[in-house]
Amino acid sequence: MELELSDIQGYVVRGYKYMMYSRYVMLTVTEPALAKKFIKTNVPDVTNVTHHPTTHCLNFAFTSLGLKSLGMSRENLDNFTREFREGMTTEHRQRLLGDFDSSAPGNWRWGGPNNEEVHILLMVFGANKEIAFNYADQLKQQYIVSGLKEVCCIDGQTLPYNKEHFGFRDGISQPTIKGTGRSGPPEHDINAGEFLMGYKNEYNVYPDTPVLATVQGDTTLLPFDASGTGKRDLGRNGSYMVMRQLQQDVDLYWNFMNEATKNEDGSVNIEASIKLAAQMMGRWPSGAPIVKFPGKDPGGISDDDDFLYMEHDPDGSKCPFGSHLRRTNPRDNFEDNGVKESLRLTRRHRIMRRARLYGDTYVGSPLNHSPDGEVGLVFTCFNADISRQFEFIQYTWANYPKFKQLYNDPDPICGVRENPAPGTEQNFTIPCSPVNRYVTGLKKFVHTKGGAYFFFPSITTINYLTTI
Amino acid sequence: MIHQNPLTLVTPVKNGEHDNLDALLMKIRQEIIKGSPQDFENLNTIHYARWILLEPKDADGKLQSDVGVRLVFSSDYDGDEDEHLTDLSTKCARFIDDMYSCCEDYPPPARRSPESRKIYLSRWRVKESAFFAGAPGRTLRQIRQENELRNYIWNFIKSGSWNNKSVNEIHNSIKENVLATKKFEWAKEPVKIPGVRWLGMAFLGLILLVLLPFIIIWVLIINFFLEPRDKPLGLTPSQVDEAHIKKLEEYEDLENQNQFTQVLIMKPGKMRLITLQGLMLFAKALIKNLFVNGKLMGIPTIHFARWVMIDGQKRMLFFSNFDGSWQQYLGDFIDKSGWGLTGIWSNTQKFPKTKFLFAAGAYDEEHFLAWSRYFQIPTSVWYCAYPHLSIKNVINNTYIRNDLFKELNETEAQKFLKRF
Repeated sequence: MELELSDIQGYVVRGYKYMMYSRYVMLTVTEPALAKKFIKTNVPDVTNVTHHPTTHCLNFAFTSLGLKSLGMSRENLDNFTREFREGMTTEHRQRLLGDFDSSAPGNWRWGGPNNEEVHILLMVFGANKEIAFNYADQLKQQYIVSGLKEVCCIDGQTLPYNKEHFGFRDGISQPTIKGTGRSGPPEHDINAGEFLMGYKNEYNVYPDTPVLATVQGDTTLLPFDASGTGKRDLGRNGSYMVMRQLQQDVDLYWNFMNEATKNEDGSVNIEASIKLAAQMMGRWPSGAPIVKFPGKDPGGISDDDDFLYMEHDPDGSKCPFGSHLRRTNPRDNFEDNGVKESLRLTRRHRIMRRARLYGDTYVGSPLNHSPDGEVGLVFTCFNADISRQFEFIQYTWANYPKFKQLYNDPDPICGVRENPAPGTEQNFTIPCSPVNRYVTGLKKFVHTKGGAYFFFPSITTINYLTTI
Repeated sequence: MIHQNPLTLVTPVKNGEHDNLDALLMKIRQEIIKGSPQDFENLNTIHYARWILLEPKDADGKLQSDVGVRLVFSSDYDGDEDEHLTDLSTKCARFIDDMYSCCEDYPPPARRSPESRKIYLSRWRVKESAFFAGAPGRTLRQIRQENELRNYIWNFIKSGSWNNKSVNEIHNSIKENVLATKKFEWAKEPVKIPGVRWLGMAFLGLILLVLLPFIIIWVLIINFFLEPRDKPLGLTPSQVDEAHIKKLEEYEDLENQNQFTQVLIMKPGKMRLITLQGLMLFAKALIKNLFVNGKLMGIPTIHFARWVMIDGQKRMLFFSNFDGSWQQYLGDFIDKSGWGLTGIWSNTQKFPKTKFLFAAGAYDEEHFLAWSRYFQIPTSVWYCAYPHLSIKNVINNTYIRNDLFKELNETEAQKFLKRF
């Protein structure tokens, strides 16, 4: 299946690796007509998949409130998926995503019930700080006089070797989208319909797509939907984008690892501390997968993504079942399914991840864990079915403590509750001989500070939106 | 071995009492969420219980029954039915009175007695077409005891120092320690864990082989004469009524387990009914012989499930209690047993388009998920005796208990220790 690459906004397919700086600007629409004009003016600059700019990139995303504020009718909005329409902060979704206590939406900086509404997200990228922020400022000159108000702005960057603040290389394993001309190992080569509407997904059917219910704007711009109902399709070549601002408590993180592995005299056992952290992560700080290097970090910089679990580590003694990596992408070891079945099923729960770090450019380690001020990452991912992909991974694989045969083990990186119900344990089990090792009393190292579900439309649809 | 059994009571609600009953059920729901103990918990035999209010109208607003609103009660309990009904009528008298005084013909206060209550409840008993228990033979008491034992040993292992000890030495230390603990006296007695009955399976295979020509003809008739007339729902998940979904989600994911209640309407015609009944018999045979160790058609998260025909076989209730989220559960259904699911459920209305009875249908993921929600109804009250245990935990705990006092070789002892 050929993809219409020039109609797809670039960030779904490419990570803009060379764009080291980014600014995400959340805007609220005050005057829709002007806002549409602003968008229209900038459509030519929107980066699509075929562009390979060397200086800067621009992408747009919209919340359901944003589409409404631009004037989309109720009937048309109703054809978007429920997850997107309801947003990230309903009571039920809060339970699924585990946003409790200080991570509760009521405490968020943006996207929560106590914050100003986020309508449009402007995603600006630049090869260096100057280009990125100059370009963002240029746009700012326009939007502040275009009926758009800035609600929040997060500057992001990519650290050298793509490390995140805890000290680990991030974003190594990604699915590749069939038809984009990129290719990876077959287990990562996923049908386009898992990420883009208008194409078949891993069930070999077309994902739910927002078709036009009532005539609005210049409908002739829009293609007809792929499943052949004869309706105009807003979704084709678009995706749903999940964004969550996640604060990383680097100090707590390394103190916890140090404490759990300290020497008898109370001093820090650096090697053991890193090893525990790596077991929880599933990779070493260098990025090397622990299933291949169970003893110690081979060092250097690793992009190694060529591994499965069952052949070399069926009992989790190298990479624990509870580790972040093995849970959130179980590869050939999905629950207790066979290898082939696992590989088939895992394909239905993949996301395209994009992360940008914010705060101090700090890379933590056992002896260095006090960044200057708040640090974290803006987690972003693309999927066509938020419920079956992002939410499934977050709930069923990360938060759910009964994963596999486990009893009380949430994902140690992103599934721990800050204040668990009284009597509830939160452990990390390391399969060992003769008996397993248990790290008890896990702490929440990552806190949600904001978030929203966005529609990441095709360039055609962005154009169309300016006509409604 | 004590068996777990299902009880289903379908009782007409008295005219004008609907709102009172609803309020009472909501009160009980809140109490259970808050953890305030209920009368029926004292029986220590009920694994799961649920109450729903069954409307005479279906999801389209069409009248399906002329009886009015009915209260449906279901329980998964230990022991025999007579004893269960006696228990409810005597030890939960006030609870039953409060609830059923809202229902038709309930004895007035002066004539209430354990006997009159029991006679009343028995009157509304509806038989299940099929019933599945994830951990057959494990009583509530046993599940609780075995979990206590597991937690005890886990703590013992965690706090010990086992360097340079062999797995057999560790197994023996655990054994000695547990032996010295009086409250685990019961653990010395191993329990029987049901295994696959190969003889039964062979017999089933033989019957199927004999019937095969008829089955093929039957399926062909369905494919060429019935399926073309089917009218699938045709909605995608985003098109299902928002308020309906909200109401369902309100009562989901409060714990690590969930409930699922569906009311399905049979497709017209004898042939569909016979197909369903045949498949129910088949399912029953598989449940008895093959699905004996925590998996229903390969789905590893179901504690209990049941199918119940009501309204003169015009409608079917499906109840299940499962681990994890709705999305995971329904996804598992498609991934693990889409064909079985399609074979059974496609005899009910608006199911996604099928081919040859077993194909397509549930594999049309988007439409199937929408269909599932469409025919799901809110559960008013749901009770689970062990929300903190997955079915895998329950089964693992029994293996721990049985292996604890066995003589194990090195491999077995290592396997035993890996269970923690």
